[in-house]
Amino acid sequence: MSWWRWFSVYGPTYLDGLAATGVIAAAAAVCAVIWGALLLLVRLELGRAGARAVDAYVQVFRNTPVLLWIYLIYFAFPLVGLTWPAVVCGGLALMLQNGAYISEIFRGSVKAIDLVQFDAARSIGLSSWATFRKVVLPQVLVHSLPALGNQIILLLKDTSLLSAISVAELTMNAKLLTEQTGAAYEAFVIVAVLYLFLVAILELGVKWARHAVSWRPPHHAL
Amino acid sequence: MLTLLLKGALATLILAIVGIGGGTVLGVGLAGLSFGRAWPLRFLYRLYVFVTRGTPVLVLALLVFYGLPAMNFALGPYVAGCIVLVIYGSAFFAEVFRGGVLAIPAAQMESGRSLGLPPGAFFRKIIAPIAFRYALPPYVNVCVMMVKASSVLSIISVWELTLAAREIIERTLQVFTVLGTAALLYFLICFAVDRLGRRAERHLMRRGFVGERA
Amino acid sequence: MIDIRSLQKRFANGTEVLRGIDLAIGDGEIVALIGRSGSGKTTLLRCINFLEEYDQGEIRLDGTALWYRDEPGGRRVRMREREIRMLRQQMGIVFQQFNLFPHMTALENVCLGPLEAKARPPAEVRDLAQALLSRVGLGHRTSSYPYQLSGGEQQRVAIARALAMRPKVLLLDEITSALDPELVGEVLEVIRGLVAERMMMVIVTHELSFAREVAHRVAYLSQGRIVELGAPIEIFDRPRDPTLKDFLRRIR
Repeated sequence: MSWWRWFSVYGPTYLDGLAATGVIAAAAAVCAVIWGALLLLVRLELGRAGARAVDAYVQVFRNTPVLLWIYLIYFAFPLVGLTWPAVVCGGLALMLQNGAYISEIFRGSVKAIDLVQFDAARSIGLSSWATFRKVVLPQVLVHSLPALGNQIILLLKDTSLLSAISVAELTMNAKLLTEQTGAAYEAFVIVAVLYLFLVAILELGVKWARHAVSWRPPHHAL
Repeated sequence: MLTLLLKGALATLILAIVGIGGGTVLGVGLAGLSFGRAWPLRFLYRLYVFVTRGTPVLVLALLVFYGLPAMNFALGPYVAGCIVLVIYGSAFFAEVFRGGVLAIPAAQMESGRSLGLPPGAFFRKIIAPIAFRYALPPYVNVCVMMVKASSVLSIISVWELTLAAREIIERTLQVFTVLGTAALLYFLICFAVDRLGRRAERHLMRRGFVGERA
Repeated sequence: MIDIRSLQKRFANGTEVLRGIDLAIGDGEIVALIGRSGSGKTTLLRCINFLEEYDQGEIRLDGTALWYRDEPGGRRVRMREREIRMLRQQMGIVFQQFNLFPHMTALENVCLGPLEAKARPPAEVRDLAQALLSRVGLGHRTSSYPYQLSGGEQQRVAIARALAMRPKVLLLDEITSALDPELVGEVLEVIRGLVAERMMMVIVTHELSFAREVAHRVAYLSQGRIVELGAPIEIFDRPRDPTLKDFLRRIR
């Protein structure tokens, strides 16, 4: 069939999937960053117990596949009365998993940034929360940008796993199309290209972020 | 139920070993390609790594799973799964090995060149052992990643731990216990790989090599 | 002897790092190269054993042209890798740091060259290596790994390793610059020992007092040229060039 006809018949399915993937990834990414920041707060403010708890949390998610958590939340939530839509269950799993990695990224940035500032801020009477919000978080975020970017790329790829619980994103739509048309693998080639397209854009973003981060004046010169 | 999960864990372990073994071998070859003098070689390498790492594992798996029969290679999901793991892993392993070579301090490379060592000995006695040691921590990380990636193969009906867990859930509806145990088994496998890796690092990377793992 | 004529080199970004170097070094002579960073002294040293390629000029060792062949028609072509390797075996080089292969003991480091590049029999190589390590004062540390050795000890092993190839010339690239001050002496002591054996050496260094002590001639480089060349007394006590005077004043 002609190009135009193909596009008008199947195009919307791919574009819908692409958009859904983008939205889900963006939402999950935002949540994961917030969650990672909260984990960082726990690590910094709740002493050794807090740090150990976060370490254990990170270890759990480092050593288990995210698909398992997607299934767990999706199948278990209804059993305890939470009938959330599949996309929320999946997104939650992505948030928990990536939040762990992001808190580790933040931890690395905290180590890299001069600690003198913590003490300086505390000694002029800033509360812990204010210190965290105004001194720690901004610098950690900026310093982490490249690594965060890479993590978000991983998160984007993991959204494809949501197709296992029938969330209507790009991979799911491709599966549906192959069943409809019987054309075996062409749909997945197109889908792969679309993912690569998204990844390429994000990688450019990471490169830009690396540049932007290294242009900042050293903090002690501010 | 537990026996079935344990069998699943064993299947996962075997898949991971196949993926790691094949991926390592292919990865070494690819890393060699990346240092090729002719630019088409390096370009091919970059392209391969970008496509393989940029595509989600699931999409790769679906591609191979549906694509093989279309090319008249009806080899079944297990073989397809192995192929996917090897290809997926090879890109990551290649980058790890490449990084290992690039981490070798310039003075050591230049010392080797200045001694006038023949290329075979130069590679065998200097590049390979030193690059390998620098590559070890990220290599172990990729191995853990491969164990986790094997769970995705459950979606193309390769029988391993995740699929075993799903089968049991469909029969018994004991979601928490089953998935919890499965998670524990994955954790044990990955943790063991990590520990083994650390032991190897302690043994091989006597102080003087930068780059210990978090 | 080494004969360097009209050596010129330009970096990829256009900077001219060597603007016509002429230098002749006789057998058994020790020449020290001094100058600011960026003056080209390290690049010149690295051109001698072709770790850096150069654009024009030639380098001859005992009359033989090194590194490039003249093609009929005036073109210049790089020698084959194999020839380059063979020629490099006649020169020893020691770098500022990270010389030694970390996964090998001191003895294995020293043995590697003769064993693999010259294919000497292992027993003979081991004896030679043991003797060389003893000569640099580390005969008792042969089975130590680099991480177990101090910086000065590592540099001494590196010198032994270079000597194991029985080179015609020894190239030393700021070998004491990365060392803690108390470790510098032991390395300089080894070099003094080599002076007595009339080993031809080209030394890039910041240790002016040492250059004054052992060098037969000192070359002061600035902006890619040898601005002044002469005996240490001339260079250090009676400098003529204003930039050299300035350089000496700052170092002191």
